[in-house]
Amino acid sequence: MPMPCHENNAVSTAGRKTATTQPMLVLVGNPNVGKSVLFNKLTGKFVIISNYPGTTVEIARGGTFIDDKEFTVLDTPGVNEFAPRTEDARVTCDVLRDYPEATVVQVADAKNLRRALLLTLQLAELRRPMVLVLNLMDELDKCGGRIDVRKLSEILGVPVVPTIAIAGTGVHLLQQAIGRARIPSLPSDAPGSRPCPTEIEAQLARANAILAQVYTITQPRHASFAQKLGWWATHPIKGLALAALVLYFTFWFVGLLGAGTAVGFFEKVVFGRYINPWAIQVVDIVLPFPHTHDTQESHYNLEIPLSPTYGISIWENTQIVSAPTYSLAPSATLGGWTQVRRLAHDFLVGEYGVITMALSYSLAIVLPIVTTFFLVFSVLEDSGYLSRLAVMLNRLFRGMGLNGKAVLPMVLGLGCDTMATMTTRILETRKERVITTLLLALAVPCSAQLGVLMAMMASISIRAVVFWIILMVLISFIIGWLAAKLYGGETSDFILELPPMRQPHLGNVVAKTFARLEWYLKEVIPLFVLGTMVLFILDKLRVLDKIARFGEPLVTGWLGLPRETASAFLIGFLRRDYGAVFLLDAATGPKHLLTPHQVLVAMVTLTLFMPCIATLFMISRELGKKTAFWITMFIFPFAFFVGGLVNHLGGLFGI
Amino acid sequence: MESKLKVSAPQFLHCPLCGFEFEKQETPCQHGCPLGRFCKLVCCPNCRYEFPEKTQGLNVLQRLFHRGRKPAPDRTLLGLHELEEGEHSELVCLNSSRASRRNALAVYGLTPGSRLILQQKRPTFVVRVGETELALEIEIAREILVRRV
Ligand SMILES: Nc1nc2c(ncn2[C@@H]2O[C@H](COP(=O)(O)OP(=O)(O)OP(=O)(O)O)[C@@H](O)[C@H]2O)c(=O)[nH]1
Ligand SMILES: [Mg+2]
Ligand SMILES: [Zn+2]
Ligand SMILES: [Zn+2]
Repeated sequence: MPMPCHENNAVSTAGRKTATTQPMLVLVGNPNVGKSVLFNKLTGKFVIISNYPGTTVEIARGGTFIDDKEFTVLDTPGVNEFAPRTEDARVTCDVLRDYPEATVVQVADAKNLRRALLLTLQLAELRRPMVLVLNLMDELDKCGGRIDVRKLSEILGVPVVPTIAIAGTGVHLLQQAIGRARIPSLPSDAPGSRPCPTEIEAQLARANAILAQVYTITQPRHASFAQKLGWWATHPIKGLALAALVLYFTFWFVGLLGAGTAVGFFEKVVFGRYINPWAIQVVDIVLPFPHTHDTQESHYNLEIPLSPTYGISIWENTQIVSAPTYSLAPSATLGGWTQVRRLAHDFLVGEYGVITMALSYSLAIVLPIVTTFFLVFSVLEDSGYLSRLAVMLNRLFRGMGLNGKAVLPMVLGLGCDTMATMTTRILETRKERVITTLLLALAVPCSAQLGVLMAMMASISIRAVVFWIILMVLISFIIGWLAAKLYGGETSDFILELPPMRQPHLGNVVAKTFARLEWYLKEVIPLFVLGTMVLFILDKLRVLDKIARFGEPLVTGWLGLPRETASAFLIGFLRRDYGAVFLLDAATGPKHLLTPHQVLVAMVTLTLFMPCIATLFMISRELGKKTAFWITMFIFPFAFFVGGLVNHLGGLFGI
Repeated sequence: MESKLKVSAPQFLHCPLCGFEFEKQETPCQHGCPLGRFCKLVCCPNCRYEFPEKTQGLNVLQRLFHRGRKPAPDRTLLGLHELEEGEHSELVCLNSSRASRRNALAVYGLTPGSRLILQQKRPTFVVRVGETELALEIEIAREILVRRV
């Protein structure tokens, strides 16, 4: 089998230097067969495990000890054949090419032995020592299949190890088998095979011949509940009902419980009553100057939400706390050092302070929303539902020059646009990758941003929220459609393997949520602190004013907003939701700068901004600097363009 | 293989007037109907009689009346898209001009001789091959030629 792998790949070349020192194991196999689970069991290292093909898109490496010898273990993206169609499959090919001395551990889905054997036969032509792992033996049992492991091992001439990776069964057997890894010694041709037109068909015929000798299915299968659920999920009517149910539950859990109850608790109680007052106290002691902080009444009502407007109250109380705003002592004259202290004080706990604003925003608001979203999302991923959603939405996506496969990165984008941009690797053509990335960057806010944007608009009016949602959906379709027309070229075939519906494992769901949270917070908190700092410095240097004047034609003339809001757009370049926070301050703060109509205009403009600067870096890494440049050059002017339209035409809709 | 395909490819029409049997694409008559290519009338190349092609609605009606009757397992070659939901079939060949598409299907085990179960047709086709459930579009389903079993 030729290995048409391309030369350049940043991912695999990165670690090539260490290759020669240690013996190496490479885990390869079909998608969604449990390679990553096995990798985790072997190395103890965490990698994302989900129940759909295409979870792993990048190499993960770890170490394991077998007989006191240290092995490097590589986890690779799943492939169905060694002719890469997609970027993730190419990564796997590159690994096999880059590490010619590695032992290959092929992981197979025991239920789908035929497809695994097809890979085995292709791997055999590489002439590398290998071990075949038959994973998912529990599911094979359930569907009544049996595999003659010893016979299979004899035929292939390599050790064959049955495992149930998720339970850890058979992992030590695999470790023992590594030493016995052999180059497959296949009979050159299966008996009685006729000449076949293509190579792959020839291989399949051989796979069939082997299968006939080792695989038996004993009992007739009855559809299990999970299987029926899977059928409902793609049924034209029941599928829609199920989708509505899933959507409502997600809304309840993330929108009401997360963004409502949990955010309220963190914002009002944890930060409002404890962390902020405490920080103010400490800072006042460390950096004294004559001033007294204002106090405010903090009312809190803990409730379990049932609908957006009604909930069961559990605990309610009111308390007086000190606020970041303060008044100077009337007779005070501030000398040089006192001024410096005051500046530092404001930087930490002032109105735009790092603690009182940056941290309380990024932790109190972002954390609960993102956590609840990732929890629901992990459950959905592990159940196998997402691929079925792709089946339901395929038609819709066709209109945008994409196909159902793009549903996955788009839904992932609701978790984090940066991660989702990387997942576009599972798409087959560059056209699809570019369009999906563009739509992600333009109109798919991540859950935290969505939460913030919606909450802010809801505080203005519900009609505005509805208008905003409809507008975003419309824009996605129109831009997707236009982009598809402009880009030209064909969209790849929609052929998608549906993973079996499985019961999610709590441990995996929790682990995944934590890992993603960590990833997310590492990306978000430094950015927000940076944004706050920039704003603080600009404010103190009185540069904000100049910027405001510079942006006046755009902000005041076209968008019809007061020029003070220019700083919000400036900060929106870093992350769109930060811009929104500053805007809201202008809207509902003491000065009441904005009318509801203006808030809508500003929010629409900000929503269409690049999700965050980290996403931009990821786009440039995945698609190249040039594409990233053009996407940016499109997004920002377009955002202002649409914002202006809403400003001038919004009146027509009575918003 | 190729020639057999042509003969058994469906889309045959039957002229109600003269009884001539012809392929839809063969309709040579052109007429000035304002509907243009959306016109549902076809024209018999033998007698030039114009008659309506069986429409979707007619199909549904016919299916309603024939519901109780199970179609006898016949051995004709069909596109996968012509099967009913829940029907079992055996794959005969992949009638795709594109090798990449044939390969893409082959790696999932869709090769001559394999047993397929058509699980659903809408909104997208879902077939089961062994333990693999595969979603594919109608354009691809058309190119999968099968025989009922
Ligand atoms: N029941 C059962 N489920 C398993 C077993 N091994 C893995 N799984 C499940 O199979 C799914 C896929 O596992 P992954 O490890 O992500 O698969 P992968 O091969 O890395 O997939 P890709 O990265 O997409 O190629 C997960 O939902 C696992 O929980 C097993 O032995 N038994
Ligand atoms: Mg994986
Ligand atoms: Zn103070
Ligand atoms: Zn006509």
